[in-house]
Amino acid sequence: MSDETYMSIGDNPMGFYALADQYLVNQQLHNLIESTNTGLWERSITTNEAWWSPKFCELLGYAYGELESNYLIFIQKIVHPHDSEMVFNAFQSHLKTNTPYKVELRLLTKANGYHWYESSGKAWPDKDGELTRMIGGIIDIDTKKRNEIKLKRNEIQLRENNKIAHIGGWEFDTKTNDLFWSPEIYEIHELDHDTDINVSNAINFYEPPYRNIITTAVNNAIEHCKAYDLELQIKTAKDNVIWIRTKGVPIIDEHGKCIALRGIFQNINEAKLRELELHNSVDLLSDQNRRLQNFAHIVSHNLRSHTGNLQFMVNLFEEVSEVEDQKEIFNNIRTISESLANTIEHLNQIVKIQTEISNEKQELHFEDFFNNTINAIDNNVAETGAIICCDFTSCPTVNYVPAYLESIFLNLITNALKYRHPDRKPQIICETYLELGHTYLTFADNGLGIDLEKYGDKVFGMYKTFHKNANAKGIGLFITRNQIESLGGTIKIESTVNVGTTFIIKLI
Amino acid sequence: MTIVKPINTVCVVDDDEIYVYGIKKLINLKQLCPNLIEFRNGKDAIEFLMNPENNDQLPDVIFLDITMPIMDGWDFMDNYAKIKPQLSKKITVYMVSSSINDEDIKRAKAIADITDYVVKPVSYDKLLKLFQLAA
Repeated sequence: MSDETYMSIGDNPMGFYALADQYLVNQQLHNLIESTNTGLWERSITTNEAWWSPKFCELLGYAYGELESNYLIFIQKIVHPHDSEMVFNAFQSHLKTNTPYKVELRLLTKANGYHWYESSGKAWPDKDGELTRMIGGIIDIDTKKRNEIKLKRNEIQLRENNKIAHIGGWEFDTKTNDLFWSPEIYEIHELDHDTDINVSNAINFYEPPYRNIITTAVNNAIEHCKAYDLELQIKTAKDNVIWIRTKGVPIIDEHGKCIALRGIFQNINEAKLRELELHNSVDLLSDQNRRLQNFAHIVSHNLRSHTGNLQFMVNLFEEVSEVEDQKEIFNNIRTISESLANTIEHLNQIVKIQTEISNEKQELHFEDFFNNTINAIDNNVAETGAIICCDFTSCPTVNYVPAYLESIFLNLITNALKYRHPDRKPQIICETYLELGHTYLTFADNGLGIDLEKYGDKVFGMYKTFHKNANAKGIGLFITRNQIESLGGTIKIESTVNVGTTFIIKLI
Repeated sequence: MTIVKPINTVCVVDDDEIYVYGIKKLINLKQLCPNLIEFRNGKDAIEFLMNPENNDQLPDVIFLDITMPIMDGWDFMDNYAKIKPQLSKKITVYMVSSSINDEDIKRAKAIADITDYVVKPVSYDKLLKLFQLAA
């Protein structure tokens, strides 16, 4: 019926002005339109003439006839300035290409500001076939539109937040095995958003050591409804290894069965790397702290043992009457005085390490230092019949503090000679190599070896000696280790009793 | 000056030659005890104690240092606990060290076989008390 009505409006031979009258007199049509909450409008395409139905006026809060029957004024005063161009373009494209005219626009109500309306209409020809006017209707879509805008804004905000936080959401249906990822998760994996994704290829993004962990966590979540929160490493589609945090929570049905997993997935690479770095610094610091404390105890112990002996001898001196005894005791006092001087010299050497850190590093040739050391101890070498060879071809130079490198060579070679095996001539092999950007220097000997299970943690301690050896002072390795570590390196030992010992030094 | 009879033999396990010289001299001078055996490290001492041939020479008192090469005082105590049931004599063990480190003192006190922890230097008065306590 409405079609018929519209047809009759469009075909109205009486012309433009007759429409309103017809609308108003047609009670049936009136009621129908009222009941759909649709306001009618009509405008001339060639002039600015327009007509707004009573419902149209009511929807905008006006009385019938209160709105001026002029389309130009309507566009200028009632349509929101941001929407007028869009309305105009929609009209034009409807007239030119006959695309349906249907727009969502804001209109200024009488008392409540702008409201959202949906307006649709159609151009009609006059009796000569010319498109002269448009007839259409509006409905109030304000609530719906505002919700829509709010939702869209929330969505955009969520997506932006996710992007900023590098966090995405995912869901896994345990029945269908369907895995859903939000766009940010694809971004984190550096994957195209339309890539097919399932549990097994998702797990394959994890670095091998973490695949078992995530598989177990997912299985536990499904079978035992146990949530998980893990920090693991993945390798993205572009081969970047990054730290991520993945959190999964089981969705449980009324029977207590897990029907789905839902969770978040976050790129935490930067924070994690910082955290790890911090951890390292803390480890390094507590290591240094421990060494300092150990050092303080050693200083206390060594100084005390000398002063204690001194006191002991002085008291004893007063007790004895024989000249022979007095002579003996005085000799002891002289020995103590020498030992005290030695101990203090050792302490000086250790304290110097900290002040020498600022010394300039230089490009140093291993071979020069090796040769200098051999020359300096050639008596010792000749005496023991040692064979000392070197191979620095893999890595001939290092950027290091000269005094330290000198000390490393001297301490480790003399150490190897000192703890040579009595049954064979000492052999020492000294080599360098590069590994993962670090420069390594190794000293391997065929000497006595040391029981690392027993003494492993004490090898580099001060005044720690493990052999009945008159030359053993236990200060060399302590100093060497401190020098190496003060430049950020490490020193490790591998040894088998009666076979030999290898020191592996990571210089830088 | 007389000292209670039972202490016949004292054993000093210490690598500090001057200290050992001093103790020896003091004991002789004051006639605290007729026999003194000395070892420069824990291993030699354990081997001596373990050897059944030395049964009649076992000491009454041991003065044990902590820091020594080859086998230190702690390792000595571990081994001593193992061989103790085979010893035919009750031996009093004093740990004697220059260390005033709390950790060392606590650790020594926690070892049941150690009667006391003594901080060096050892004066005559202190030595006398240790002998009396062990008697």
